[in-house]
Amino acid sequence: MSDSPGTPVETPENVDTAEAPAESIPPEPSSPASVADRPNETNKHKIDILLKATGNAPIMKQKKWTVEKDKKIGSIIEFIKKYLKLEPSESLFLYVNQAFAPAPDQIVRNLYDCYGSDGKLVLHYCKSQAWG
Amino acid sequence: MANDREVLREIWDGRIPVCFQLDSSEVNGLQAPDPYYLMVPRLSYFPLVTDKVRKHFQRFIHPDMKESEMWIDFNGQPLKWHYPIGVLCDLHIPEISLPWCVTVHFDKFPESELLHCPSREAVESYFMSCIKEADVLKHRSQVVSNLQKKDHNQLWLGLQNDKFDQFWAVNRKLMEVNSEETFKYIPFRLYQGDKPFSQRLVKPINEEGQKKTLFHFLQEIYAEDACKVKVTTHGVEPPPDTPLQWMSEHLSYPDNFLHLCVAF
Repeated sequence: MSDSPGTPVETPENVDTAEAPAESIPPEPSSPASVADRPNETNKHKIDILLKATGNAPIMKQKKWTVEKDKKIGSIIEFIKKYLKLEPSESLFLYVNQAFAPAPDQIVRNLYDCYGSDGKLVLHYCKSQAWG
Repeated sequence: MANDREVLREIWDGRIPVCFQLDSSEVNGLQAPDPYYLMVPRLSYFPLVTDKVRKHFQRFIHPDMKESEMWIDFNGQPLKWHYPIGVLCDLHIPEISLPWCVTVHFDKFPESELLHCPSREAVESYFMSCIKEADVLKHRSQVVSNLQKKDHNQLWLGLQNDKFDQFWAVNRKLMEVNSEETFKYIPFRLYQGDKPFSQRLVKPINEEGQKKTLFHFLQEIYAEDACKVKVTTHGVEPPPDTPLQWMSEHLSYPDNFLHLCVAF
């Protein structure tokens, strides 16, 4: 499976991210060049996600990202860990609806189709298990 | 409510004869081990039933590999431990003759294709997460959030120890229905070839309040291709006029999802 752990793409609309341009994201060797995409554009291959910290997790300066529909949850977890400069040994848990933790190989499209609202998917991240 | 107890029991008792063989390139020494045969529950997961398989083959591999994670492939395709065994079987049904011969490995873990399974607890947390997700769809989380820790344990131990009554004593609460006698949405996963499974929001009733059948469901997903679709679950093809709500209550796996393998 060629799952390139790509970098979510910055959304230009997000005003408070002016200080966190896409270049500041540690680039991954296999990731495509960061291209700014307008959210909600008729781009059928991308989904807007909103990353919210919970519990003891540090907040991310930029919360809204655009990702490929086929992106796996595991690569989003890895991306957040890199963004927050966590140690590889530190855990990060990701939750949908503040109710369940999707498997790392679940693709974002399935979660968006079932649990997305207002054109985006909200994911909560946490450094310890929050909702079981 | 899941009332057709005989069906629930038949589904629970589904077994597959599996022949495990060690990858010949991993045999350390002159003598290759005998294959290991097991009747495994369709509803279980490989890590819950393969302790003996591991023990059987461990003596025949390189000592350095003894502690490494065991994984299994069929015809060169790694089998995902977090899919129920019955789903893995249904996915490969055209290629399978019984007993189902699979190959056991301790080396060259396929990192890009499989998740690691460090312990039974990993299976448990994945399983419980599926149950929670299914309840988000069925009851907006309201049933699962009222379960106690002992109920969680009972579900898990019921599955792990193959105890139908223990499992269903709790699972029946998760299968309760609202005043319209349906779930809000039907938890399902659709598998097609080696693509990632897909999930969508599908209600068990249509806008007129009538219960949908499996065929209505397929029309919703595949539009005009619905009549070409062959659906397999638990090794059988449910008739197209099977009510979707009934399927969810009776043909869901213990994780509370319908796992439907589709072919055209």
